[in-house]
Amino acid sequence: MSAGSARLTAPKSMISDHAFPWLAPLVAMLIVFAVFPFFYNVWLSFQEFVPRERALEFVGTENWTKLFADSRMWGALGITLLYTAICLVVQLVLGLGIALLLDSDDPGFGFLRGVLTLTLVIPPAITGMMFLLLEDAQFGVFTYALKSIGLLQGQSILGNPSTALMGVMIADIWQWTPFMVLIFLAGLRAMPTEPFESAVIDGASGWQIFRRLTLPMLGKVIAIAVLIRGIDLFRTFDYVYVMTSGGPGTATYTLSLYAWQQTFSFINWGYGAAISLFSLFVILIVANVFVAVTRLRW
Amino acid sequence: MSASYHGSGSRVLRALAAWTVVALFFFPIYYWFSVAFRPENQIFNRPPLVFGWDFSAKSFEEVFGISFGGDAARSLAGGGNFYMMPRLIDTIIVAVGSTALVVVIATLASYSLSRMRFRAQHHFVFWILSTRMMPPVAVAIPMFFIYKEIGLMDTHVGIILVHALMNLPLAVLLLKSFFDDIPQEIDEAALIDGASRWLIFRRIVLPMALGGIAATAVLCFIFSWTEFLFVLTLTQTGLKTVPVVSSTFVTSTGTAWGKMAALGVGAMVPAFIFILLVQKNLVRGLTMGGLKQ
Repeated sequence: MSAGSARLTAPKSMISDHAFPWLAPLVAMLIVFAVFPFFYNVWLSFQEFVPRERALEFVGTENWTKLFADSRMWGALGITLLYTAICLVVQLVLGLGIALLLDSDDPGFGFLRGVLTLTLVIPPAITGMMFLLLEDAQFGVFTYALKSIGLLQGQSILGNPSTALMGVMIADIWQWTPFMVLIFLAGLRAMPTEPFESAVIDGASGWQIFRRLTLPMLGKVIAIAVLIRGIDLFRTFDYVYVMTSGGPGTATYTLSLYAWQQTFSFINWGYGAAISLFSLFVILIVANVFVAVTRLRW
Repeated sequence: MSASYHGSGSRVLRALAAWTVVALFFFPIYYWFSVAFRPENQIFNRPPLVFGWDFSAKSFEEVFGISFGGDAARSLAGGGNFYMMPRLIDTIIVAVGSTALVVVIATLASYSLSRMRFRAQHHFVFWILSTRMMPPVAVAIPMFFIYKEIGLMDTHVGIILVHALMNLPLAVLLLKSFFDDIPQEIDEAALIDGASRWLIFRRIVLPMALGGIAATAVLCFIFSWTEFLFVLTLTQTGLKTVPVVSSTFVTSTGTAWGKMAALGVGAMVPAFIFILLVQKNLVRGLTMGGLKQ
């Protein structure tokens, strides 16, 4: 990011430096493990496993026409987008609120910020297990708490198609809201104090200061948070795999899980490859447009 | 800046709210630890037992073969179905191996991205960022077939390589931001004195970047430690890491919650220690160098 100005003043010897030997291992690694698998996946999406022959056969564009006509695929895309949107909004709002709350130098607040980071390093599959237990229909703490305050009528959160997705989202929101808190805290702490001091002198209210100063200054922070979290939310696999396996019915099928199951559970190798490529294209297009619009630079 | 500019509320009320919120977030971790260290029959209480459970290390002993007083360990080691020490070792081998590989490759690459200019550099950096966007399933599916062909299926090396790939974008962009913090003038002065690029890197810049490299390594270790989908897809019986093996504790006859919680605790504690070590660089790491603290 700081490169722009340095480039103009750098001596000739630096510009003519040959970067290739330094980058060669990285490029080799990316070609072997990212570029080649990508093209292999493209090739695979034009094949299908034929059980009778016990081999792959070329099927042309069959998998791709099937994909665009597959209502379960569109359903999975819809669930993935819903999951991404709701989690993103909740995590942003909660994250900003908690960051404002914890942005203090009073004793104890450093400790509280440290405790909050612990959720970030728990394997998501194990987080899924933790919430599977908390949301258990018989002896789950959350189920019990929700029932005793009358918020839950049915027997179970994850067993009911209308609440299962929410049950999975709770795990995601719990684990990743602290991510937002940390990023927002960094943004808040990096802000200059002068504009706020003069706003207070001019008699601005707390809400006005938040709306007119804090929020605009957090622009870049919000953009980075939305990009990184949005990508991860769209790829969600671990939570649904361990908590619901996509069920009940298809209530929690994300695109990643659908692609994985088509390949490995239903042995539709080529079709699974096509779905995984489709999700790759969707995410690359959306993320690249987002980066271009927000002018994020690395 | 202090958010006190957002006005209203006493310090006591604020502290109270802050402790309450963090306590709510901490609760699932507390409950999971309590399940790991209570007798099996107290997991299935109705209503669930949140406080006042009895301490029992039995689940923990069965899973890790570590004894808390008795000599349970010796009789269980290598014996019980839930003995997970070998799986823990698998997880460590994979995390250490992939972290070492990533750090070496990414340090070299990010130094040159920070210090040298070449055509289409911006596009190159963007390509690296794009590989971070790939859904893991779109890599895991082709890798499954490629690994079957070349014999890397179900091997530590195979998992080390995919975890290294997974962490490369993060490591390269993060390390680049650390190298960018070191003034270019240092390199320039040494270049004018006739030092080679390699010498400058080895003797001057690398020692100055050690803190950043360590923070990067810790994050790569944690992401390999917690990874699920690649291990699930690319292993069968040869190895299993902790997150994946814990999902096999869910069986048709019921879930071994106590043992699963014990295993989860075993997976969390090292990660907790590591994350507390890199607090200073955590935000920078989580945003791949995009934001500095």
